[in-house]
Amino acid sequence: MFNVGISQAGNVNVMTSNNGGLTNEQIADLAVDKIVSISDDAPAHIRQQANQFREHLKNVLYHYLLLARREERGTIIQALLSGGQKETAEYIRRL
Amino acid sequence: MAIAQAMCTAFKQELMLGTHNFATNGNAFKLALYAEGGGGKSSTTATLGAATTAYTTTGEIANSGSYTAGGGALTKVAPTTSGTTAFTDFADLSFTTATITAMGALIYNDTNSNKAVCVLDFTSNKTSTSGTFTVQFPTADASNAIIRIA
Repeated sequence: MFNVGISQAGNVNVMTSNNGGLTNEQIADLAVDKIVSISDDAPAHIRQQANQFREHLKNVLYHYLLLARREERGTIIQALLSGGQKETAEYIRRL
Repeated sequence: MAIAQAMCTAFKQELMLGTHNFATNGNAFKLALYAEGGGGKSSTTATLGAATTAYTTTGEIANSGSYTAGGGALTKVAPTTSGTTAFTDFADLSFTTATITAMGALIYNDTNSNKAVCVLDFTSNKTSTSGTFTVQFPTADASNAIIRIA
């Protein structure tokens, strides 16, 4: 007798936005979902610790996402100002 | 159910026939989005499940933003093993500036006659309005990867 294996299709997560791209919080959620997965079968105290780590990680990611977007906007604004596009640069600065 | 999550039966057979190559330099795979309740283009409804054998336009959502007929190209994660499980996965896929309502998706082999791989059921309608529609694939490991053979 031999063992017959099983084949499975995993589950995807869908994230959507309206009138623009995903928010920093949504992107942080996507990143955390990739990094941390918590088994439903894990003991309660392990799940609790993992959830706390997950929240901490999300906050760190959120902070650096904000920073990355702000810094990129800064670089874009500087490039626009150098190209004489003062109005567009100001518009982006206010986003 | 019009869209039922499944690894397509034909795909399982085609794996044994060597039809699908998930290696980094192998076949090209795509993901198409589908709607229920007449929400597909020309008011069509998707019927997808284990019996699906190939990509179909019936029930596929209409073009919007960066979404065009046939869906988006997937970036493969090279197949590997962990313990007794073999698995492969894909990078997340996003459609931008798009107005989309989708209930599920089909992954198919764009290189080999659009042969179906698996059907993904979102379990509820997911909607973006002039925004981003992101499909996040699970972590590439033996417990979560999108395609696993144990």
